[in-house]
Order: sequence, then structure tokens, then C-alpha cells
Amino acid sequence: MATGVLMPKVGITVESCVITKWYKKEGDAVSAGDVLFAYETDKASVEEEAKVDGTLIKIFAGEGADVPCLTNVAVIGNPGEDYSQFAPATEEEEEEKAEEPAAEVVKTEAKAEETPAAAPVKRAEGEILKISPRARTLAAKLGVDPNLVAGTGPYGRIVSSDIEAAAKDGKVFTKAALGAEGAANVSGTGIGGRVTLSDLANAPAAAEAAPVAEYEDVPLSNVRKIIARSMTTSLSTMAQLTNNTSFDASALLKYRKLLKEKGEALGVNGITISDIIIYAVSRTLKNHRSLNAHLLDDKMRYFNGVHIGIACDTERGLLVPTLFNADKMSLLEISKKSKEIIADTKAGKVSPDLLQGASFTVSNLGTMGIESFTPVINPPQTGILGLCATVERVRTVNGQITTYPAMGLSLTYDHRAVDGAPASLFLKELCTNLENIDLLLAK
Amino acid sequence: MPKNQFVHHDEMRKAGKIKFTDIPVNQYKKTIKQELEEGNFTKKDLLGIYEDMLAIREFETMLQTIKLEANYNGKDFTYPGPSHLAIGEEATAVGQAYLLDENDFIFGTHRSHHEVIAKGLSCIRKMSDKKLIEIMESVQGGRIYKLIKEKSTAKNTKDLARDFFLYGLMAELFAKDNGFSRGLGGSMHAFFLPFGIFPNNAIVGGSAPVGTGVALFKKCNKKKGVIVANAGDGAAARGPVYESMNFANMDQYRELWEDGYKGGLPIIYNFNNNSYGMGGQTKGETMAYGELARLGAMAKNGMHAERVDGWNPLALIDAYRRLKPVAESGEGPVLLDVVTYRLSGHSTSDVMSYRTKEELEEWQAHDPIVAYPADLIKAGAATKKDIEKAQKVAAERNRAMFELASDLEISPYTDYKEHPDFIENFMFSREKAPKLSDDKPDVWLTKEENPRVQQIKNKARYAYDEKGKEYSKAKVFSIRDALFEPILDKFYEDPTLVAYGEDVRYWNGAFSVYRGLTEALPYHRLFNAPISESAIVGTAVGYGMAGGRALVELMYADFIGCAGDEIFNQLAKWQAMSAGGLKMPVVLRVSVGSKYGAQHSQDWTALCNHIPGLQVVFPATPYDAKGLMTTALNGTDPVVFFESQRIYDMGERFHKEGVPTESYEIPFGEPDIKKEGKDITILTIGATLYRVMDAVKILEEKYGISAEVIDARSVTPFNYEKVIESVKKTGKILLASDAVTRGSVLNDFSHNISELCFDYLDAPPAIVGAENWITPPFEYDAEFFPQVSWILDAINEKLIPLKGHVSTKNYTPTEQIRKAKLGV
Repeated sequence: MATGVLMPKVGITVESCVITKWYKKEGDAVSAGDVLFAYETDKASVEEEAKVDGTLIKIFAGEGADVPCLTNVAVIGNPGEDYSQFAPATEEEEEEKAEEPAAEVVKTEAKAEETPAAAPVKRAEGEILKISPRARTLAAKLGVDPNLVAGTGPYGRIVSSDIEAAAKDGKVFTKAALGAEGAANVSGTGIGGRVTLSDLANAPAAAEAAPVAEYEDVPLSNVRKIIARSMTTSLSTMAQLTNNTSFDASALLKYRKLLKEKGEALGVNGITISDIIIYAVSRTLKNHRSLNAHLLDDKMRYFNGVHIGIACDTERGLLVPTLFNADKMSLLEISKKSKEIIADTKAGKVSPDLLQGASFTVSNLGTMGIESFTPVINPPQTGILGLCATVERVRTVNGQITTYPAMGLSLTYDHRAVDGAPASLFLKELCTNLENIDLLLAK
Repeated sequence: MPKNQFVHHDEMRKAGKIKFTDIPVNQYKKTIKQELEEGNFTKKDLLGIYEDMLAIREFETMLQTIKLEANYNGKDFTYPGPSHLAIGEEATAVGQAYLLDENDFIFGTHRSHHEVIAKGLSCIRKMSDKKLIEIMESVQGGRIYKLIKEKSTAKNTKDLARDFFLYGLMAELFAKDNGFSRGLGGSMHAFFLPFGIFPNNAIVGGSAPVGTGVALFKKCNKKKGVIVANAGDGAAARGPVYESMNFANMDQYRELWEDGYKGGLPIIYNFNNNSYGMGGQTKGETMAYGELARLGAMAKNGMHAERVDGWNPLALIDAYRRLKPVAESGEGPVLLDVVTYRLSGHSTSDVMSYRTKEELEEWQAHDPIVAYPADLIKAGAATKKDIEKAQKVAAERNRAMFELASDLEISPYTDYKEHPDFIENFMFSREKAPKLSDDKPDVWLTKEENPRVQQIKNKARYAYDEKGKEYSKAKVFSIRDALFEPILDKFYEDPTLVAYGEDVRYWNGAFSVYRGLTEALPYHRLFNAPISESAIVGTAVGYGMAGGRALVELMYADFIGCAGDEIFNQLAKWQAMSAGGLKMPVVLRVSVGSKYGAQHSQDWTALCNHIPGLQVVFPATPYDAKGLMTTALNGTDPVVFFESQRIYDMGERFHKEGVPTESYEIPFGEPDIKKEGKDITILTIGATLYRVMDAVKILEEKYGISAEVIDARSVTPFNYEKVIESVKKTGKILLASDAVTRGSVLNDFSHNISELCFDYLDAPPAIVGAENWITPPFEYDAEFFPQVSWILDAINEKLIPLKGHVSTKNYTPTEQIRKAKLGV
């Protein structure tokens, strides 16, 4: 008897998954436990094993297909057996296609005259990009890549109307992608056709494969789709604002130095600055429950424990594993546990359940020299703390100009849930705790 | 010319000869004794003349020493500025100033320290202590007076005033903030109005037209005193000097002007003839006159010309005693050829390559600073002790004032870092002064009786009727009318207002703007000027400087060239060079021609825009013409008011409420959006506006492009904000005017817009101006001046490719380079 192979539902909030690779093809014999295919949820990469023995008689969804959870992706049975009852609904298929026009790789060649604004442009070697200052400004604002735009102004110059047309046409970048090297030759698959960082990652191959084609549409990775959706939701539904401050990191750095130099015997030499800050955050949040909360439709959900989401930059995009009950952990425990979940996350094997449930998030861009930024809240959380770089600052002490290491903190909070004053109070207390980390640890 | 002056055929062609009267040469023969006996002088007066001569010699010697040795009186000091010294000419200056008081105004040259000092000291002798204190207290808020009171050892008010005056002059030369003009005038432009010392002029002969204008002011406003316009013999070669002498002596003053205003202008053209124009010898080399005094023969009255011995102060005083009343009474003007000689070089860099040692020694042997006191002693008018005392006093005063003026603490230089807007604040006076005197304006009719006013009443003040049909030229209130109204109003408001220019009175101005004024105004307020553009503008400068308001016109803008110095060096400069001490309420109307070819159709806004100190406006509609003229006539700053002959008959097409009958101002510098639009901005100057409007219609109807049209109205000053706003919206701008393209105001505008709106531009601003050629005959007008098609071509080539447009004009970069290479 034939058995359908379902796309599993691996988390409560997971709605669909993308098949990234089939290990078996139609007609292959499979045994229970064989890996059938790999798929990506919004937050993790997972492999699905065959539950029964038999022959893989039909694959409904190929590589790259975004399949709703609990929908059949294949059928295992006996060769020749009827599998039609397992076929996913046609309507849904069509709907899926309509929603995902970029699912197919489309190569387009430049078309002259007719729709020049929409056509990517090939420039002769050494030919400069002719673009008006106005168009350049507008392109930056709309995230349009002028290299993909043909100019209709005098002497073939790209003018503002060309950029406007291109924006409608989808020749746009995400902010992150815009700054990246080699962004010029990539076509966008992000929101509104934006070129995303993941597009850039795929770019070299695409460029080699299609030397004549000026652009290439590549399906959006699921993780990226989720990030995009989540970020957009976050920014469009919440009243986010960011407070920036800094604290004197002398004590913190001194403590960290001590751990590093003398902590080996105690096994505490691997404790990082981030760990110490997460420790301080988990303690400080206890006094500021509106930031250790979720804002749901008509209620606030205050958490008893502090569950810190740790923003991780992975190959597949931003993932945020959760360090549950951080407030109950010692500094060493925090350090060990967070190392473990970060490593799992980067390796793509973290449990999807760990990728949710955080009550507050910490994001560290300081290691990359960022001095201040605007972290974006993971809904329905009410706050996220950005850790920024440590810079030398000047201050007067007893009339003498002295320098001290100042570490920046950027707190974004949802003003719907938290007002400016309490958010600032949290930051203030956090700074005080960090500046007197020895005292906090003694508590 | 008025019709009552008949040009008789028979008279003009009749045979005969012109007889000249003899010109006296050095006829003064009196001795000191005679003068004393006749009671013309006391001994004290005679000694006083010597004292003043000494003050000059000390001052000039000081400058010479500083220039040559960078040290004076044991103190190191440098003075980098000009030093055209008058060593040897002291008697010439003191003799001139002796009889002049504060109501008599002198004008000088590049070499006038001696004239300034002599006039100042002469006034101090004549003025009451009370008046002197009043003056000292009023100058620069009394700060110089306060300083001098503290530092001076003078024991009486007159000596204090002498210290004050010498110090202020010295500080001015040394470019110190305590100078009478805050150091902005300097050596060649030193002056002091309270003592009737008007600006010296560094342009040779420059004082003649300006001084003549002040004389005109005295005459038209019935003010006391004469003007002495000093010049060197070299200036006798300058056209503006002749123009001025003719202007001051026109027949109309005697033939046509009303009783009470009859007679020549009260001015003495005083040529201090030292036989050199710089190093060029006048008589014998560069001049044809033989004797300078002969120039008086240019006028019917011979200008009472005389050669006078300026090395004898008493001879010169005698001449002034006789001729000052002549000038004052309207019998003038007077021309004096005053013999003098400078013992110093033209300047301290003069190596005297042009005269021999022998010549110099011969004159040195008669140096008045030695000869005059010797004569006094010989005549028993002074003792040797008197002379020595005078020498000591003069030397000590000069040294003491030098100590003060050269001291950096007491007399600091202006701190431009502290006051970066120091000069900026003096460039314009920016006052609103609707009338400059409270007297009753002299007019012949009430405004209501004026035939032009009555005619204008029936005219349509908006160009279109209710159905949108344009009124005929005859029925519409035109730019011509719009200029007339505020001018007429001003004649009834400001009694000092005079208007003159070529053919303004009977012809009503070449373009009939003044029709209706002739009936209303006496000659001394509206008269035909000779065809002397230098004199027309130069006298207006003097008239304004003296406290009146002058409205003069040059008929064609091209004639700006004829009045170049007067517009660019005089009109533009005096407010700032006097550190705000002088105002310049002068409106200069110039008209941009058409149809009359190369020398009668140039828009020279660019030339005027280039010169700091001028305001330049160019209205293109009746509403703007009236408002801008009102502003021009209410202000105290010079305005070059451009008009276009193409559109004098244009009605008001833009301002739907029509041109108001009442007075209103349009602030200078504010461009006006004539039509709103969103795709392209077009900025125009002058009459080109109407061709742009035609082009805009085609743009909208044929190409669906909506243009915003901005009329600059003003060139200087100019507020870019409205234009920036528009360009931010449209991203494209075309600028158009009838001026030749190269170096036009459009380039200046375009550059600023590029900088101010760079990030908003879709293309560099495009310029449509006239070709860089001579203006061809009117038959080829369309080949030379911007046309509707040119505007479309430029837009197509440079701003927005117009689908299906076929260009007729080559606006490509290749062509641009080719033309520039050829200089066309």
C-alpha cells in the first residue's frame, strides 16, 4: 500500500518548508530510515527520513519548492501503484505558483527600445555609468541598482524617471546587499524584487552560467524569506525606537582580562564579553518586566524567567537561538550554554524549538566595529539590545583629560509596550551594573 | 530741443568769425604789504597760511620717509598703500582753501592730501568751537574725539580739532579702523564731509562729473556754496572732464530754466597744473592746448578761465576772491589753470626718468615753503621767531599724531576675522527713504490734471478681458505706463528727485515712458542732458552723494560702455569706500534695444552684475516694472534698471488682479513664479519670458511636459530659494535670456544652481542665450536671439529628449567646444 511522504511540521509557527535537496529520485528503492530529502524551515535545516520501506514512486515537489507543512511531497509504494490520491491539491499548486513567481530561474535578455527602463544594461569596458545626481540620489533612496537601468535622458544618461521605473520593475537591493561587493550583476529576489545578501552569495555561479544574461532570478531561501517577513512585520507593526548610550567598560574589560589570564584552572577562561553582558542583562531585566515580555494582540505577557535570544549571523542568514532561563544560570553556565546553542545554530542543527520563545534579544555587532545601530525587534518581544563597539572616549577627571573605554549600547523597544522613561531606566541600570560588574557578580 | 528755440537757416549759414576774449595769465601783481594795507589779510592770517602749508609739508614728508625708510621719528612703520605726494604744492592747496567754508565742497584726485589738509584746517579756523565739538562728537559715535581728548596735549578746541583731523586722516591712510572712512578710502579717497571735503577720486578726472553732480544738487535744491573740482593737468585730456564742463554750462540753464534756477552750475574746475600727467609732460608732449587755461574757450562765457600762480598762495586767494562769487552767482562755471610744481615724484617709486635734475633744482630754488615765510619776514608780516615757532608746532603735531595713528593698540587695524562682514555691511545702505527732503515738491500740475494720468485711467490693467481675449496695445496698461506711474508719484513725493538723460523732456524719452512729465515738471527737475553718458551718470553719482535722488537714463544699454567709469567705479563704489558715510540713491534706467543692430541691442546685465555695489533688476511685466521701480525709487542704493524695448507695450498677462493703481513695492532679489509646473523649471531674465511662455505651451500640448516658469526679475541681489525649491521638484532647469551666452548672468545663475541643487539635478542646467556675435540686422533677429524653437531644441538635447522632436539648432557638446575654440 502506498504511503504519502508529508512535509513535516517542525514547529508550531512553521507554515511551510523548502525542499533543498532530494537524496532519492523517483523509482529508487527506499528503506525506513533512509534520508529522503533535506528541507529548510524558517529557522533550521532538517533532513527527512523515510518512515516505510518501498519504492519512491512519485515526487510531487522538486528541489526549491516551498511546500506547506503536512502536505505530501512524495509517495512510497510499489512500482506502478496509483498515487493520485496523495497528490496535493491543484488549486494550491497554482496558488503557490502565483505567490512565488520567482521560484523558477528566469533568464532575461535586454530588450532594446520597447521597455528600456526595465532592461538591464550592458556597458562597454571602460564606459562610465552616466547617471544624473538626482537619479543617483533617488536610486540610493529606493535601493535601485543603477547598473541594471538603461538611461533615457540626454546622451543616454540615467535620469530620475528611469530609476522610478526600475523601482517599479524590481531592480532594487536590500540595504545590506547594496553595500556588498559585486552587487551590480545580481538580480533581486527579495521583497519587491530587492537584491538580497543571499542573492549575492549565489551570484558568481549565476554569472558564470549565464554570461549573456544580464540578470538571473533565483528563488529566495526560506530563511531569508522568513527574515524578510519577520523584519517587515516588525518594522511595520510596531512603534520601534532606539535609545543609544554607552558605559565605562573599564571594569568589564578588567574582569574579562582576569578571566582570560587566570581563569584556565577554573575553566572560566572562555567567558566572553557577550556572556558577561548577557549575564548582566538577565539580572537587570528582572527589575524591568515590560522589556522581558511579549506584546500580544490585547495583552502583555510578562515572563517569570528571562529567556535571552542571541542573534547569530549564519551562512543562511540571521537566526536567533534562545538561552532559556538565563537569569537562573551562573555566568559560567551562560557562557557554556550559549556557546553550545550558537555552534548548533551555525551548523544548522539547532532544534527549531530553540529558535523561538525568547523574551528579549541581544544582538552583538560591536565585534564588527559598529558604534551604534538600530536593532530590529523580534516580535512579539518588546525589546532588543544591540551591543556596540568599544571606543576610546575622553573625559575630565579632576581637571585632567583622560581616556576610558566606552562601550555602546543600542536599545530598541516597542513604544506601544514600553515608554521612553522606563526603557531608559533599564539602560541606566544596565550601565551601572556593567560598570560595577564585580558587585553584580557578588550578588 | 523745445519748439520755441528756432534754428534759423540764414543765421547758420551766414559768414563771420568767432571772437575770443583774452585769457588772463598770472596777472596777480600785489605785494604782501599792499594786501595788508588793503585789509585783505591780517598778519595772523598770513602766518596762518604758512602754518597750514607747514602741516602739509610735514605730513607729506612723513609719508615719503615711511615709504623710503620704513621708519619715521625713530619708529619702524610700513605703509604699503599709495603715496602721491604733493611736496611743493602746499601753497596751491592752502591758497585754494583759504576762502572756502564748510558749505563749499572740494573734490580731489589721487594726489590730494594737501587739498584735504588745507580745506580741513581752513574750516577749523572759520568754525566756532561749539560747532567743532559737535562735529567731533558726531564722527564715528565720538570714539575718535574721546581718544584725542585723552591723548592730545592741545590747550584749546581749535588745536584739539587740528589733532583730531590730522589723526583721522592719518589713520585713514594707514587703513586703521579709526580712519574717517574706517580705512576703506585710504590715501586716494580720503575725505571728511563735515568740513566740506568730498571724496578724492583715484580715476583721473573722476571728480569732474561727480563734482558737477553735487553742483547740480546745490543748484536744484538751492543750497549755499560752490564746488571745487580739483584735477591735474593730465585730467584735461579726459572726455568726462569736457562732458562735465559742458554739462555745467549748458545754454538751457540760461535760456530755458525758470527764474530762481537760472545760470551755470556753481562749480570751479580747478586744474592744478604741475606740467605732468604722471611722467608724461602735458604741454609739449601729450596735450594740444598750449596753455591749459585755453580750454575755457570751449564755452561761450569762456568759463572765466585764468592761469593763476599757484606757487604764490596770495595770488590764488586773489583769484578765488574774485571768481568764487562768479561761480556762485550762476555766471560760471569757472576754469582755473593753477600753476604749481611737485618737488616730489609722482609717487615714491618715481625714478624721475622724465625730468632733469636742473629742472628740479630750478623749481626747488623757489620752493614756497621757504620763499613764502621769507617774503613775510621781508614785508614785516612775521618775525623769524614766528616762523620757527610755526615750524616747531607743525612738526610736533605731526609726530604726535603719527605716534597715535601708527600705534597698534591705540589705532588697531580692523579685525576681519572678528568682523567678517565688515565690508559686506557697507556695500549697500539698504535704507528705505521715500523722500530725502521735507520741502514741498515743485510741480506744475496736480497729478489728476496730468493728461497721461487721465489717459491711463481708461486702460485695462490686466491684459485679458472677461472672455480671455487680449486687449489691443492701445487699450492696455503697458510696461511703459507701469514705469511712468511710480516715477510720477515719486516726483510728487520727493522734492529732491531729478530726472534727466538724452531727450527725456520733449521726446519724453526715446520710448515715451516720460510722456506726461514735461507738462508737470519744471526744468530743474526734468531736463534734456547733453549726449554725455559719463556726465549723465557721473553727475547722478554726485547728486546722490550730496543727498538728492537722481533718476537718469542712458536710452540704450549699449551706452553703458560710454559711462563705464561712472557706473563701475563711481556709482558702485562710494557707499562702501566711505564706510557707509555716503548714500547713493540713484536709479539708472537702461533699455535693451532691438532692431537697431550691433551697438543698440545688447543686454549688459552681466557687466553690471559683475561689479560689486550695484543692484541690477530687469522686469518683464507691467506689474513687476511698477513694483520694482517703486522699490528702486524708495531706496538709498544704486540700481541699474534694465528695460526691454521689445515689450514696452506689453500688458499684464500674469497678475490676474491687474496692476494696482496704488503704490506697492516688489523687493529686489525675489524671483517670481509666472507659471507653476512639475517636470521642468525655466528661469528667465527679461523679455525672453514671452518666448519661453510660447515654448512652454508647445511642451505641454505636444509633449505633455509641464513647465514651471520663473522670472528672475532681479539679477543682483538674487534669492535662490524659490529656484532651488522648483528644481528639487522638477530636477531640470533651463535658463534663458537675450544676452549673449558667454559670460552672461545665466552662467552665474547656472553655476550656483548646480552647486545648490546638485543632488537634485537630472542634467546640468541648460542655457539658452543669444549667439556670441554682433547683433545682426533685425531681418536676422531669429538667427541671433533665443527663439521658441531654440528653447525646445535645448530641452531636447540637454534635458529631456522630446519624442519626435527635430532640432534646428545645434546644441551638441561638439558644437559647444567648436564655438568656444573659435571664441564665438
